[in-house]
Amino acid sequence: MEPARTEPEISPGALARSVLREIAERLAELARTGEPAAIDLRSLPLKASDRSELEDCLGRGDVTATLNVAGTSELWETRYSGVWWVRHLGAGDRIAAERIEISIVPEILVTHSADIANAAERMRADLAGTEAATHV
Amino acid sequence: MSERDTIGELLLRRGVSRRALLKYTTYLATVMALPPLASRVMADALAKARRQSVIWLSFQECTGCTESLTRSFSPTIEDIIFDLISLDYHEALQAVSGTAAEEARLAAMKENQGKYVVVVDGSVSTRDGGVYSTSGGKTNLEVLKETAEHALALISVGTCAAFGGIPHANPNPTGALPVSDIITDKPVINISGCPPIAEAMAGTIAYLITFGKLPDLDHLNRPKAFFGDSIHDRCYRRPFYDKGLFAKSFDDEGARKGWCLYEVGCKGPVTYNACATLKWNGGVSFPIQSGHGCLGCSEPNFWDKGGFYRPLSSHAGNPAAIIGGAVAVGAAAGVASALLARRRKQQAAKESQS
Repeated sequence: MEPARTEPEISPGALARSVLREIAERLAELARTGEPAAIDLRSLPLKASDRSELEDCLGRGDVTATLNVAGTSELWETRYSGVWWVRHLGAGDRIAAERIEISIVPEILVTHSADIANAAERMRADLAGTEAATHV
Repeated sequence: MSERDTIGELLLRRGVSRRALLKYTTYLATVMALPPLASRVMADALAKARRQSVIWLSFQECTGCTESLTRSFSPTIEDIIFDLISLDYHEALQAVSGTAAEEARLAAMKENQGKYVVVVDGSVSTRDGGVYSTSGGKTNLEVLKETAEHALALISVGTCAAFGGIPHANPNPTGALPVSDIITDKPVINISGCPPIAEAMAGTIAYLITFGKLPDLDHLNRPKAFFGDSIHDRCYRRPFYDKGLFAKSFDDEGARKGWCLYEVGCKGPVTYNACATLKWNGGVSFPIQSGHGCLGCSEPNFWDKGGFYRPLSSHAGNPAAIIGGAVAVGAAAGVASALLARRRKQQAAKESQS
């Protein structure tokens, strides 16, 4: 027997096309005013076919990055500069959050000032430790 | 680690970068349908906040709600909720037991008077003074009243705590009641579901800490972010309903083609929850996607509604069907519909037990 199909074949890719139109509009806005935007993909009832069509249409550009914090995240700039695909994986490497960011750089890549201050302190302490060890 | 630390300080001490927090708030913004760009503001607010004291009370329940929240064992994005709260009492999760456990609850209540959040899973036995469910020599009813007195707010997780659930089902031998029927002078948020979606529980707690206020609630005090749409409205099979294409049984052609499950008893049109969008097991699937109709588990009295496989249109509680029946028999509508309703209810109860 043919296995049960779980996804209907109605208007394939229709939703993907409407998301693409929204991205185009937001990208034009970013170019004109510098105003960033984000589209939450998980809040949309995207079918697997919509998702892959969207991914295919946007393609891959110059940058790909992997984050290793609270699980893994994958992000890449699409072939349209300023349009980023950001995918956060949760338990079992399933998608916990996924969005398209239309910005100069995705906010998750920017280092927070609190982390920079903490790193500066740690580095100073590490160097002091090393120098003390050298003088012994 | 001091309880006075902010969440930002705590993360720094653990060597966790603020990206983890931003990643979590991105995830929260997704599950709570907040504007995507709110995640940065939320991360900054959380970093400055102190961990929320949470006292978790388990009453007449099956522990499925706790299982739903703690289903993940590897450190992932979903687990950051446990960095945001100080879970000061939870019978199933805490290491201590007996008198020491009760002392932990009383100490947390004293230290955080007026600021702690009480999470309840399970309904509360009230018949005969609540003697049908006790722990440490106290009835659930006593513990609830004592703990709620100085709480900031209560969160009823699961349909049992929110609406009485299965213990409340006919004939309700323990006199089970939902928390909101007992505690009437504090805000009570209901996160129903059997079990509720983990993100709905974690998201609501995180919202409380981040914004210091209750999220928008529906008429049953459920967060609109998760309970604002019916399963039917967000169902990927909805186009088939609109086209009149229905599975008539679980193995017919319609079922194999993934048509709408309305006629095999799906309660999606009258059930409000986020299963169709957030899905289950990390977004893998949800009952309708697996080929079974929605049971309506996040709605009051879902267990007593006349059978999971009966279409809504022939439902015991459906007014249109009852009135239609009364007109058809040509009797005095009031009496006839009351009798018909009773007969349908009895029949439904009989069939659902068989």
